Amino acid sequence: MCDPNKNIYLPYLATVDEVIDETPDVRTLRLVFQDEQVRDNFSFRAGQFAEYSAFGAGESTFCIASSPTRSGYIECCFRGVGRVTEALRRLEPGDTMGVRGPYGNSFPIEQFFGKNLVFVAGGIALPPLRTLIWNCLDWRDKFGEITIVYGARTEADLVYKRELAEWQQRSDVRLVKTVDPGGNGSEWDGKVGFVPTILEEAAPGAENAIALVCGPPVMIKFTLPVLEKLGFGDEAIYTTLENRMKCGLGKCGRCNVGNVYVCKDGPVFTARQVKAMPQEF
Amino acid sequence: MQKQIASENFAALLQALIDAGTRVVGPKRVAGTLLYEPLTAPDELVLDELPRRSVKEAFFPVCEDLLTYEKQGQEVQVQDVDPARFPDTVLVGVRPCDAAAIPVLDAVFSWDYKDQFFLERRARTTIVGLACTTADDACFCTAVGLAPDEPRGADLLLTPLVGGGYLAESHSEKGEALLQTHADLFSEPGIDQPLGLAEPQTTPFDLKKIKAWLDEHFEDQAWDGIATRCVGCGACAFVCPACHCFDIVDEGTEKSGKRRKFWDACGFWKFTHHASGHNPRDFQPKRYRNRIMHKFKYYDDKFGQTLCTGCGRCVRLCPVGIDIAGVLEEIEKKAND
Amino acid sequence: MTTETIYNAVGEAIRIEAGRILSDGTVTAVVGYAAARRNGSAQPVVITKPDDAARLIFSAACVNNLAVYLTKAKKELPREGRIGIVVKGCDLKALVGLLGESQLKREELYIIGVPCAGVLGSTLQPSVELDAESIADKCRECDDRMPQGSDFVPLVELPEQPALDKKYAAEIARLEALTPAERWAYWQQQFSKCIKCYACRQVCPFCFCEQCLCDRNKPQMVEGTPRPAGNTAWHIVRAMHLAGRCAGCAECERVCPMDIPLNLLNRKMARELKELFQSEAGFEVREKGPLATFSETDDESFIK
Repeated sequence: MCDPNKNIYLPYLATVDEVIDETPDVRTLRLVFQDEQVRDNFSFRAGQFAEYSAFGAGESTFCIASSPTRSGYIECCFRGVGRVTEALRRLEPGDTMGVRGPYGNSFPIEQFFGKNLVFVAGGIALPPLRTLIWNCLDWRDKFGEITIVYGARTEADLVYKRELAEWQQRSDVRLVKTVDPGGNGSEWDGKVGFVPTILEEAAPGAENAIALVCGPPVMIKFTLPVLEKLGFGDEAIYTTLENRMKCGLGKCGRCNVGNVYVCKDGPVFTARQVKAMPQEF
Repeated sequence: MQKQIASENFAALLQALIDAGTRVVGPKRVAGTLLYEPLTAPDELVLDELPRRSVKEAFFPVCEDLLTYEKQGQEVQVQDVDPARFPDTVLVGVRPCDAAAIPVLDAVFSWDYKDQFFLERRARTTIVGLACTTADDACFCTAVGLAPDEPRGADLLLTPLVGGGYLAESHSEKGEALLQTHADLFSEPGIDQPLGLAEPQTTPFDLKKIKAWLDEHFEDQAWDGIATRCVGCGACAFVCPACHCFDIVDEGTEKSGKRRKFWDACGFWKFTHHASGHNPRDFQPKRYRNRIMHKFKYYDDKFGQTLCTGCGRCVRLCPVGIDIAGVLEEIEKKAND
Repeated sequence: MTTETIYNAVGEAIRIEAGRILSDGTVTAVVGYAAARRNGSAQPVVITKPDDAARLIFSAACVNNLAVYLTKAKKELPREGRIGIVVKGCDLKALVGLLGESQLKREELYIIGVPCAGVLGSTLQPSVELDAESIADKCRECDDRMPQGSDFVPLVELPEQPALDKKYAAEIARLEALTPAERWAYWQQQFSKCIKCYACRQVCPFCFCEQCLCDRNKPQMVEGTPRPAGNTAWHIVRAMHLAGRCAGCAECERVCPMDIPLNLLNRKMARELKELFQSEAGFEVREKGPLATFSETDDESFIK
């Protein structure tokens, strides 16, 4: 949406290229922009989000889950919980949907050059970090050690299962995957325990490191103290916040947490910024 | 530039604008209620009462289409709205509490992303303000830094004169242009005195002090006492000249329809309700707190302005008698203690 | 005795009683009216301390139906033990309805009924004196000035009710005399002012659904935008959902910022139900209204 004279609420049209069921209720859609100019020029940074629409149902807000380093397509990943997400789930390859974006701020990836990265995610909150993970892996030599601690309630609830397998294979990534107690099947080859506990066990070093955390509020609540214990300062911990959004561009007045607009000042925040916010998210 | 215009010439001015095809909008009765509506004749104008809704809807309509969609198989045709839908407009009879809110709204509607629905209308609209000679005890424009003859937001400000007619002062190029184009209807200011302006109804608020209290008291028991009575409707936000929250929905069928934006309010329970069921503002005092915070702290933090012009509509129209000026008084008292 | 004198006496009696029942633990809170900033204004208040009873008043500006604060729509109100509530006759009808619908238990309430000579139709200017012009339209047709079945009623006598023009009856008659097309045009014009603020719903004691049907989008029963179809549907849906339940407190009409005469719809429905089923809401605690029951004596003339 670079033309200032355009209707800022008008979406780009995108074709659903591929539908991937990550879990029984979480789906990835790979999208290709229909307009050639948009296809060639659309660019974004890891952490940004878009407003995805199923025409007739409305728009919904998700991060752009693919890496900015991959061209020709973007991906979104979501759970069917409401009218719009359920309509998006009814889309098949070849169908048209709308995309408005990219919106929001992004991970300051340049500030992470030369540092060790520790990604901590839970359940369906992996996508906002996955974009950054692939961005970093595509620029692997710019970063130090990369550790990924990821867990879900059960094996079935893990998203990006194929990529987890890929990351497990790589020698330049340390993947620690876990499921909640009772969530493991007989063939589970990962850890068993809640993410904060497993993170503490894995004890990634905080020296010259950045932690990137994304998960449900209860996971964040117990993960931040673990990171602090491991020696991560508030400025070295990043997270993404989610809030009910509509316009995605700072006008409809809905997504604010205190005086912070998640769609404009976020969705990427440091732990210090999150702690300074009033607790209304 | 300051001029004078007799009442009959003012009517002639409106008629001339109407005849030229300009959309002239002013306070007019619709089904018994005074609202800002397009005029077909000067005598439809009613200037002795504040319209029920503010003038913001001349720039930010209650409901408007954003696009049209039509599905054909797997394809979707999306049509932008017709740019001709923003006609040249002259707003008349706009009280200072309404006019002053428009420049305040400029900030949010041009924050990085330019909302052409608002800004295009801004560009094509001339605001003719009208100073106030009466007030009731719900008015508190003077308490928030405005005045009954505040020119902010008006391109041309009319002040009623003893014996009829108005003093007309231009405050922008658009106001100047109006004076020039219809110079034959205006004369040099004479000896007629302006009518006495409305008296301030309450003492001025120290908005800085109030904001300082808000900065520190997000969590405070006071919000329960202030806001438990709020029943969570949108009346205050909708009649307010400065409130601008909106929702976006698709209406129609899966095959064809429109995407629309329409007024929304932070007082509604579902304003911040996530599809997951989580609601960061799950109780009414939290929602009401957001209203006060947004108007007297957040908008200042972001844009250096207060999101309230003291028009008093919310005070008069709140179903449960919540008085925002009373709330500010209470906060200021706490800030002083 | 002027109305003001009467109401001052009522207010005094309320203050004493509220102080008493809070001090001796009969109730944990009292929902009543207190003065607000504007001259002559009143606003709902919930007090929990005996000393705060001094804040309670009664006047012609005490227009609110406080019953709404006892419904499950208002989760914020502390609900431990018995709660005192100040009600006029019309408000009490709402309580009766809520008791019938199992939303309240009688033993949880301490009903302070006020002898009422009428309240203002509009509180846009609350200092206006109560007279034949400013009195609410509902008060002109009131049949319940001394709330029956209260736990406490101030011992204040009301003067004879002067005969006042029954505006609702007149307006309903006027609308009934119009052709369907004219009537439709009238209501379309009124509904065109609607901005979907839902003030009507939020003050109504019977709109206590925790999620209104019209606030859902799965399925979307009624368009949510303030446009002709959605506005018309909204008001019709609400009138239907209230039929047989509405107490006639007319709060919906008073609070509408756009002056839509909503109570006409409810009064018309009430009249229909009285004619068809000899049923009137708000007089006795009953579980089901006429629209929720079937009786073999029900009128069947519409079945052709």
